[in-house]
Amino acid sequence: MPFGDGETILDVTRRAGRQVPTLCHDDRLKPAGACRTCLVQIEGARRLAPACSTKAGDGMQVTTANERIDEHRQNLLALYLVDHHQGHDDCEDGAPCELHAMAAAYGAPTDWEPLPLARAERPNDDNPYIEFRADRCIACARCTRYCDEVEGVSAITMAKRGIETTVSTADALGLFDTTCELCGGCVAVCPTGAMAEKMPLVAKAPPERKLHKVRTTCNYCGVGCQMDINVDGYGNNGKGQVAKITSPPPGTLPSDGNLCVKGRFAYDFIDHPDRLKVPLVRNAQGELKEATWEEALAAAAKGLRAVEAEHGKDALAFVSSSRCTVEENYLVQKLARVAFGTNNVHQCAAT
Amino acid sequence: MTNSIGEIRDADFMFVIGSNTSEAHPIIAMEMKRAVKRGAELVVADPRSIWMTTIADKHLKLTPGTDVWLLNAMAHVILKEGLCDEKFIEENTEGFEALPEVLERYTPEEAQKVTGVDAAVIREVAIRYATTRKAAIFYTLGITEHSHGTDNVYALSNLVLMTGHLGAASMGLNPLRGQNNVQGANDAGATPIFYPGYQRVDDEAVRKKYEAAWGVDLDPNPGLNLNEMMKVAGTTIRAMFIMGEDIVMSEPNISHLEEGLNNMDFLVLQDIFPNETMRFTDVVLPAACFAEKDGVFVNSERRMQRVRKAVEPPGQARADWEILVSLFAAAGTPLESQTVSEIFTEMTSLAPKFAGITYEHIEKLGHGIQWPCADDESDGTRYLHEGGVLRGRGLFTAVEYRPSLELADDNYPLVLSTGRTLYHYNAATQTRRAQGLKVKQPEAYVEMHPKDAGRRSIGDGDWVDVVSRRGTLRCRALVSKQVQRGCIWMPFHFAEARANLLTIDEGDNVTGTAEYKVCAAEVRRVTGEPKPTRSSDREVEFLPGSFYRG
Amino acid sequence: MREESRRASVPEELQKAHAAGEDATNVAAKTTGVPAADVFGVDTFFNLLGESEKKLRVCTGLSCRLAGSEKILAQAQAAGLGATESSCLAACDRAPAVLKERRTLVEITAADIKRSGGDWKELDSKEVPQHLRWSGHVWPAESKPKTCAINLAGKPNWSGAASTLATEMGDEAVLAAIDEAGLQGRGGAGFPAAFKWRSVRGQAETKRYVVLNADEAEPGTFKDREVMMKRPDLVLEGLAIAARIVRATEIYMYIRGEFEIPQQVMADAIERTQSAGLYSELHFHIHSGHGAYICGEETALLESLEGKRGQPREKPPFPTEVGLWGKPTLIQNVETIACVPSILTRGGEWFKALGKTQPGSKLYCISGHVANPGVYEMPLGICLDDLVQAAGGYIGKLKAFSPGGASSGFLPASERKRPLDFKALAEIGSMLGSAGVVVLNESVDMAWAAQEQLLFFERESCGQCSPCRIGTAYQRHLLDGYISKRGQDGAKDSLSKLSMVSKEMIEGSICGLGQTASLPLTSAIQYFPGEFA
Repeated sequence: MPFGDGETILDVTRRAGRQVPTLCHDDRLKPAGACRTCLVQIEGARRLAPACSTKAGDGMQVTTANERIDEHRQNLLALYLVDHHQGHDDCEDGAPCELHAMAAAYGAPTDWEPLPLARAERPNDDNPYIEFRADRCIACARCTRYCDEVEGVSAITMAKRGIETTVSTADALGLFDTTCELCGGCVAVCPTGAMAEKMPLVAKAPPERKLHKVRTTCNYCGVGCQMDINVDGYGNNGKGQVAKITSPPPGTLPSDGNLCVKGRFAYDFIDHPDRLKVPLVRNAQGELKEATWEEALAAAAKGLRAVEAEHGKDALAFVSSSRCTVEENYLVQKLARVAFGTNNVHQCAAT
Repeated sequence: MTNSIGEIRDADFMFVIGSNTSEAHPIIAMEMKRAVKRGAELVVADPRSIWMTTIADKHLKLTPGTDVWLLNAMAHVILKEGLCDEKFIEENTEGFEALPEVLERYTPEEAQKVTGVDAAVIREVAIRYATTRKAAIFYTLGITEHSHGTDNVYALSNLVLMTGHLGAASMGLNPLRGQNNVQGANDAGATPIFYPGYQRVDDEAVRKKYEAAWGVDLDPNPGLNLNEMMKVAGTTIRAMFIMGEDIVMSEPNISHLEEGLNNMDFLVLQDIFPNETMRFTDVVLPAACFAEKDGVFVNSERRMQRVRKAVEPPGQARADWEILVSLFAAAGTPLESQTVSEIFTEMTSLAPKFAGITYEHIEKLGHGIQWPCADDESDGTRYLHEGGVLRGRGLFTAVEYRPSLELADDNYPLVLSTGRTLYHYNAATQTRRAQGLKVKQPEAYVEMHPKDAGRRSIGDGDWVDVVSRRGTLRCRALVSKQVQRGCIWMPFHFAEARANLLTIDEGDNVTGTAEYKVCAAEVRRVTGEPKPTRSSDREVEFLPGSFYRG
Repeated sequence: MREESRRASVPEELQKAHAAGEDATNVAAKTTGVPAADVFGVDTFFNLLGESEKKLRVCTGLSCRLAGSEKILAQAQAAGLGATESSCLAACDRAPAVLKERRTLVEITAADIKRSGGDWKELDSKEVPQHLRWSGHVWPAESKPKTCAINLAGKPNWSGAASTLATEMGDEAVLAAIDEAGLQGRGGAGFPAAFKWRSVRGQAETKRYVVLNADEAEPGTFKDREVMMKRPDLVLEGLAIAARIVRATEIYMYIRGEFEIPQQVMADAIERTQSAGLYSELHFHIHSGHGAYICGEETALLESLEGKRGQPREKPPFPTEVGLWGKPTLIQNVETIACVPSILTRGGEWFKALGKTQPGSKLYCISGHVANPGVYEMPLGICLDDLVQAAGGYIGKLKAFSPGGASSGFLPASERKRPLDFKALAEIGSMLGSAGVVVLNESVDMAWAAQEQLLFFERESCGQCSPCRIGTAYQRHLLDGYISKRGQDGAKDSLSKLSMVSKEMIEGSICGLGQTASLPLTSAIQYFPGEFA
């Protein structure tokens, strides 16, 4: 296999279509080589080497699966499971669990007696979005490295050591009292659902594997991050309900799969009871009253035409929106220019 | 943006001016932090101390409204030090000759007197910028929301052109769009002077093309821009159709606007939530939000990306485009294009910059398409002006400093700027309905320097009245050294303390953008209100601009 | 570089802030500019920082346990001293030991506990008045410069003669002498010293560092303590020579935090030599450890020096290429570096001939069931019986011994004639390691002894890689299960997963801790199957 400068064994094996499992790896992060699931055999080396952090070399012979590697993976995954929430189904009440999937894929024993939980939780963290569930954590440090290397916020850290190693914050404070910007990247990178989004858990939304994802563009700032709306098809009487928003994989343009607090979490406005649901038309008494679409559209057209007739086309103004789509902006300017003959069309791009 | 978001992490020098990037564009800030971690230099020019200044190599804490002085002084240094890219200027630009004469008086020493930024620092930053190849400039509304916003952008553009920082990766001039589709709304021609794709309405050939395509006669004269519309609402303008905006929250000098709206004959509003403007409305059309419709948003880097319908809208609400299609019919001018995909293709087929972009092409490439895009074989354009300036030559425009319209005086001794915070968005119709964000940042505040607060006997968390020539509002004081002495700052997200009651509705004479960033104000302590608990110590930022430069 | 040194001072700032009773995380974060969360991560990693409110720690090393430290702990707690357990304090020769803040007190008795009257500040060791610098028994007791490369009983030589000689000889001749001497690293790995020196010398990067590994924490080991206490001259001189050869000017001495007194001795020695004009081109920095065995692992030590959590790095790249702050770094153990001066003054050939089976004289630490525990400088390759004979004989009948610290596991009495060297011990799956020899007589239950060692590794695992993080806890959990059911039918089933766990710890762990942590149990089962029936 040819390889580029700085490419790791993992990069090359992936290109070759070989399966090498990883738990602590994320393409946005510096390789940590800590989860040990990606160990492969390099010809001539006594010890197995982590594919994620070992650079490919000239003439290197790499074996990604053999009896030795299989045995290592099975024993390792069995160890992971004794220190992890063991019920597969209730482990996945939020995001799917990469550990359970991997254990199944590599035939790891699942009947080892579990260890008592030694990782500290942070039960008094009252932030509204992010929950740390210590029993699911595998201390892979994806979340803390993401928070540091990608988000540059360093709100969370690995704390304690040995079997007590856990994810914490400065003085184990709630996230609101730290530098956390609530981007939720920790939730996105967590392989086991230990960093979980609170809202769907509290709302008892179906687990992620029962939702379908719709890739779309964020509706907040001008970066245009791609995001996956996770839809519960049975919600809202079958109209579909947004259960949560997740980020696409690393490498997805334009934001490399990253989202901010608004994009990831500020979606509960969608189902907010305040939403306008019915057209309204102001009656003779000056009150806004519910109307049918036909009535409302006719009233709108009539009102605009009446002013046009009385004051001329340039007495009309059309305010479009940088919040709406290209097509909608196109239609508004066309409405102004074609239906009413005026160039008085603009949008509040400045606000 | 001339360049792409993904290129930021490879930049070696970043000049960020008038952009509170970490609050308003967290994802861009993430890329900048990455570059800084890699060893890139970061220079932030902002009147306030903001998060980005904590990681910056230099913070140029300039007096609000003096950007032209700062930028011209940088250009002055580059010129005097002989750091211009003469080959680039020769081959790709015009109008350079006018520059030296204007720049002559903008010495760093004089600039220091006006901007408050140390002359040596101006000199050093100018030299670093000019001598670093991968040097990029980023700005938002801190540049454009001024009466001299266009001048600010010209001054920035001069820096880019004279150093030839254009046409390759990780450089260029990069306005960061504050809203999801600022770029797209302008691209689509929702402006009084352009048809879609920046084709001027007063260009006869263009007009003929659209008259042929649309089958009607079109008005050859530019229309009113937003600021002009608002000023004559209720007088010249008698009826208004408004889609997706809460003008009573977002427009400047609200008292005047509300008076105008009361005198209007007819107002149609199309939105997803009831808002402040609804009080003046005759017809309200319930619309779908982004998760409930199909379409395209265009991001800051000109990337046309799909919006996909995930769920049905609530009640009888409909997608804005569907409502508009019906409205065309109701107005007696039915459309041919009936689906979003057809509407999109109708638009792109008439605009050479977007030629070849269709839903099918976007789907095929899988990551959106950055215009210009020549045809359906093209992958689009990652950065502009590769191998020469687009559309002929880059034009230098020498600009002179003009003070802001309303300066501090004895009655209103403080300079008020407005902006946004990480946790809210615009009029906050969505974010204040997000439970978590509401908890994190529940209410409005005015940020002021401890010395200014002390002189007025104002303590942190005290209730105050913020007063300008246009109005008064009540909120709490956040006493902080983040703002300079003599300056105050407010977020504009909060309906009960609408910062735009105070702002000035005069603006830039080219773009019509109002001067949200500078007006004169005073703060007075209020007694008798209960002392509240502090809700937030976050700082905030300004809104992105409508000013477009292709 | 300024940012690097600010980060490096995080543990020190935490220590200061804790001592002052301040809000340590935030104070240290503010002083250093390091994010508060990262500071907290460091604080909770090191025993002496995160639990700094615990002022008294009782050693749980095997030799201290044999000397009744469990009772001392119970008594201390009953007396209201707020005492807790500590990993081996490197005072196995003067057991039982306790740590009072950062000072080790030795040969603590029930009477000492009683005398303190419930106030930890009052606790003192009667045997060693606190104003005196206590030290241990060494052998030979008289100066023997001709047969002992280090010669602990010798008077310190502050002339810098060997260093001057090194300059006269020239770098290549110095390297040739080290080569000829066959000097192997005495910290545990036995890696040829000259090879590392050459590797650092040959790097393209011109900024290099020399680091002294004085984080002596392998249970049963206390030789570096004695070298620093008695021959600081050799340590500094060896470092100065090494620095010249690898072209470094910055020397970091990482001394474990519990070595308050050796730290002081080294600081005095630096002051003394530098004020005498010796090694004036060099900068010696003493960095105190803060209670983490793993920091004896060279890459964890580097992380810790940089002010981070002491988590080992993946190798390669080796520190000789990418070390402290990413620069080529020579890391040597105290004993190794202290051998250098005499190698130069007396010659490589001389040093090589001092050994019996492998080159050089060697410091053996002996403790446990022997008459005169202490540090014995003897030819490399002597056997246990030779060593114990010098140490005044066995107490009771020999049952088992650890030849090189907890990591070397246990060997049965039948191995008493086996050379205690790098090669012969490796042949039977054990190792010389740090030559911390602990002798156990027939009174010792091997399951108990293994359990003590397993607890040590569990407590000291850094937690970075899962084979070690989970494996150390799980093997101890399995052994606990066995011990609780011992004598009942099927008790042995408790250990059925052990072979898979230990295999994975060896196969998957990043560093030596995890790779050797199961050896105490697996070797005990191998050699004493009757006790695990």
